Amino acid sequence: MKNKPLWMVSFICLLIGFMVAVQYQTTTAEPEVRDTRDEWEVREALIQQQEVQQDLLEKISAADETLTTYEAESSQQQLNTLRKSIDDLEARVGLTEVEGMGVELTISPIFLENVDIVQEYPVITPSLLMRLINDLNKFGAEEISIGGERLTNLSPIRDVNGSTYLNNRPLPSLPLNVQILTDQPERLKNYMEASTSSEMFMIENLDIQMEVKEQLKLPKYEDPLYLEIFEETGE
Amino acid sequence: MWLLPVLFLIIGLSLGLLTNIQIPNEYSDYLSIAVLAAFDTLLGGIRAQIERTFNETVFLTGFFFNVSLAALLAFLGVQLGIDLYLAAVFAFGVRLFQNLASIRRHLIDQKLLTKTNKK
Repeated sequence: MKNKPLWMVSFICLLIGFMVAVQYQTTTAEPEVRDTRDEWEVREALIQQQEVQQDLLEKISAADETLTTYEAESSQQQLNTLRKSIDDLEARVGLTEVEGMGVELTISPIFLENVDIVQEYPVITPSLLMRLINDLNKFGAEEISIGGERLTNLSPIRDVNGSTYLNNRPLPSLPLNVQILTDQPERLKNYMEASTSSEMFMIENLDIQMEVKEQLKLPKYEDPLYLEIFEETGE
Repeated sequence: MWLLPVLFLIIGLSLGLLTNIQIPNEYSDYLSIAVLAAFDTLLGGIRAQIERTFNETVFLTGFFFNVSLAALLAFLGVQLGIDLYLAAVFAFGVRLFQNLASIRRHLIDQKLLTKTNKK
């Protein structure tokens, strides 16, 4: 066999190719991610996804409904539909006055008697206010206004030179009125009385009085909305 | 003449990629050094062919001996806690470059010689 060296080199090339391929696959292989969820976790994930799907379907059907009414109606009615959707959206964002039943909180300072130290006049810090708002939202608050300022999803709570600003305006001094609209005012009140935020207020020498009101009127958000940094959520 | 090795190289590559074989991570050091040894042997063989000193037995035994020695060195290194496989990498790397340089020189010489002969 004359070409024996050639065959040999070819054989070595075959081996090299094989080894390089195996090495390449070993180094580029991603570590195997194992699904370690148990049955209940899988079920929960499934239910969650079904809820998301349901939610999306509802949104689609609502949008479809608006679209069909829009197409079916005359131009005057179209205008009305458009106005109605704009009103709906404005109401959702907080650009309109809202009325309904709810809870009114009055935050007032506590002054300790028979204490030798000089007591400072208590203030509401932004972190305290955020804690209160988080608790209120957790317990089912729908609309909130603090000291005559309507709280929207874009309302900033800031500390400016030691005083707390809400919606870029300083909070009025204590006592402060917080109005909350909710479907179940009694329940919200009970939850708030047992919540940690009232304890936190107590530590800061602040007292929260709660009162269920049948009729509350929340002011609208006054300033223009800045929507420059909005993005789609991808849903 | 060089078509056959290239063809076999491609066959080997596709064989490795298609069979989807993976080796455990702790053995990838051995394989990498084996690949290096194989490259060294291959280039040595090509150089010997060009220099007309090619010997099949030397080539084949060289391949397997180098690969197993490199693996052994890596194994020893792992056992002793010293990166001994770096020694093999260094040796093979240097030889690889030497072989490549010598092949290049030979090719250039051949080209220049044919050119001057034509003139």
